[in-house]
Amino acid sequence: MVIQENMTVQRKLEILSDAAKYDVACTSSGVDRKGKGTGMGNSLACGICHSFSADGRCISLLKVLYTNECIFDCKYCINRSSNDIVRASFTPQEISDLTMEFYRRNYIEGLFLSSGILISPNHTMELILEALRILREVHHFNGYIHCKAIPGADPVLIEMLGWYTDRMSVNLELPTADSLKDLAPHKSRKNILKPIRQIQLGRKNNRELLGLPDFKKQPQKLIMNNQEDKDIKEIITTNSGLVPCQKKTAANRVFVPAGQSTQMIIGATKESDYQIMSVAEALYNHFDLKRVFYSAFMNVNQDSRLPSTESGPPLLREHRLYQADWLLRFYGFQTMELLDENHPNFNVLLDPKCDWALRHLEKYPIEVNRADYNTLLRVPGIGTNSAQRIIMARKSAVLDFKDLKRMGIVLKRAVYFITCNGRMMYPVNIEENFITRQLIALKDQPPLGIDKDITYRQLSLFDDVNFQPDLRFNTKFANI
Amino acid sequence: MNMKRIYLCDDSIDGIFTAIYLAWNSKYGHSNIKIEEKSDGSKYSNIEMFSEYIAVDTDYSLAKKVSSSIKNKISDEAYEMVYRVALSDNCGKADLIYRFLILGFSVGSKITQHLSNDVVNNVFRINKNVNNEAHHLFGFIRFSEQENGLLTSIIHPQNNVLTLITPHFADRLPQESFLIYDENRKIAAFHVPGNPWILAEIPEIDRDNMKKISFGEDEYRDLWKAFYNHIAIKERINPKLQRSNLPLRFRRDMTEFK
Repeated sequence: MVIQENMTVQRKLEILSDAAKYDVACTSSGVDRKGKGTGMGNSLACGICHSFSADGRCISLLKVLYTNECIFDCKYCINRSSNDIVRASFTPQEISDLTMEFYRRNYIEGLFLSSGILISPNHTMELILEALRILREVHHFNGYIHCKAIPGADPVLIEMLGWYTDRMSVNLELPTADSLKDLAPHKSRKNILKPIRQIQLGRKNNRELLGLPDFKKQPQKLIMNNQEDKDIKEIITTNSGLVPCQKKTAANRVFVPAGQSTQMIIGATKESDYQIMSVAEALYNHFDLKRVFYSAFMNVNQDSRLPSTESGPPLLREHRLYQADWLLRFYGFQTMELLDENHPNFNVLLDPKCDWALRHLEKYPIEVNRADYNTLLRVPGIGTNSAQRIIMARKSAVLDFKDLKRMGIVLKRAVYFITCNGRMMYPVNIEENFITRQLIALKDQPPLGIDKDITYRQLSLFDDVNFQPDLRFNTKFANI
Repeated sequence: MNMKRIYLCDDSIDGIFTAIYLAWNSKYGHSNIKIEEKSDGSKYSNIEMFSEYIAVDTDYSLAKKVSSSIKNKISDEAYEMVYRVALSDNCGKADLIYRFLILGFSVGSKITQHLSNDVVNNVFRINKNVNNEAHHLFGFIRFSEQENGLLTSIIHPQNNVLTLITPHFADRLPQESFLIYDENRKIAAFHVPGNPWILAEIPEIDRDNMKKISFGEDEYRDLWKAFYNHIAIKERINPKLQRSNLPLRFRRDMTEFK
């Protein structure tokens, strides 16, 4: 291990932002908070992106590690203790100065502080707490703070952290307990789920105390998919022993107002999309998570025990998971509808919603002028915004296809699934193979920039690749 | 057939409202009237033949009458939409606002739901465009610290969004003096702690003066650039995605691209 004394702040920032970049979340959303007239900062619920890095990801927060020294040896992590890399640590003062000066210049929306584990989880948490205390109480920083809770830290420290932050996250890292045991021998799933549960209950208590409306109106669905997740079941039945104290701080703050998120690594272990989505759904339903992030695995350590990612990280798979995640959160879908044991993975060529619609053609076409909101949402090419616009606009007029086009509905996709005034835009053969071919031919399916790693090949009826394929077959498949 | 009347007004919300008041009051018939905002060379519009041009001098009391009747007879939401359309750089926005208000005064507050109507849809679309640019600038504006502690920023927005973004920064940085200069329109918003922010026309900004940055400014610029370069994941480099999220036109004013 290289230990360097007297490193400049610039060098530390380089090392520790490099080390933090694999963390996916960089959102600053979920809290509306006006400026206080003193100190500095406010926050908007919609979040603000301040820049976009060369990989196209949003930069909203100053995303750094407190330290990249770590006593843990997780196989997938660049900062694992067995790696010989340059190590650096900030001081609480340096973190708060950087945040304030960047924030003043409008470079960032706030701070996203994560950390390797220095000496012990508790020791690390105390250092992080000190940095946040300086920000909130010395500089009266009123902007956004997202902070990682370190699994295994004392619940009292997690609680204290919760009063300073807007959002907290504990990384689930891997979807199942077995994979976690394999790749992150120092972490245990229960140790990860416990702080998540603690924060959930803390938020609930605090919101009750403040008289805020309960964040979840609908009764919790207690559907567990076939694979019973024992850890989740055990933790959600725990109500006591997790929340040590709920004292109100002097400053008028809310406990983790923007909720919590988590992150899973995709493609390092053999879980199917179905397993991953089931875990995500359970987290949304039982732990009231705001977001689950998926991170395409990259073999940063060139570890031979892990899958190779020489041909690039599984970006398309990550993209499909995010699409499905959106369907769960905003479109009223359930994992069971999208995937099952027989179809455990998402379609490479079609997004999950198109895929679902094609398997349920008996429900289409639907009449745009009469269908309710939830039915509209299930039409490919109609999103939440356009569904709301349709509902609004049809109060005053009978909608036609040209109106839909003007209102931003993606007709080239929606046209197979809707009627206006009982008519389709043009006669369409409502037949699965035909529509599938049409939708795949749109070529807008692979999203920006990840289309390069899909190569199309004509599908042949015969295995012999030298055989001249029949050109009437339009079906393509990708070799990902 | 009546000769067409074209009211030529200042390119400002008050100018447009004044023209709308006069046009309405003339009882000449909405279909015989067009309202045009004065524009400079780049957005040249043809002079129409067989029309009578009427130059409109902005009259704030008349404009005020129009804005208060929009708020009373249509809705606050409609007023905000019209306001943002007036800030846009769309040619023909004055006439669009006029048509929208004709509909609005007859339909009332429900006008904003008539999305299948061409005029309403255009208002909606332009409104969204202006809003988007303002929201982008919430994030993309960069301040530099001058020797005297003043924070300055120069921007080149498409639409006249200065009045939309300054309240956000005044709320965010209550104890800072800052200046945001819209170089395309030669106007600046200025905020001093403890006072409401003000809007001023500044025909020429003193560039040499702007270069007198504070002692720590260069250091923080370098720190920010270092952070910006190190946060990208090389295996995921994706210029197309970056460009669609952060259009090139914003980059000239952003520290990390200089």
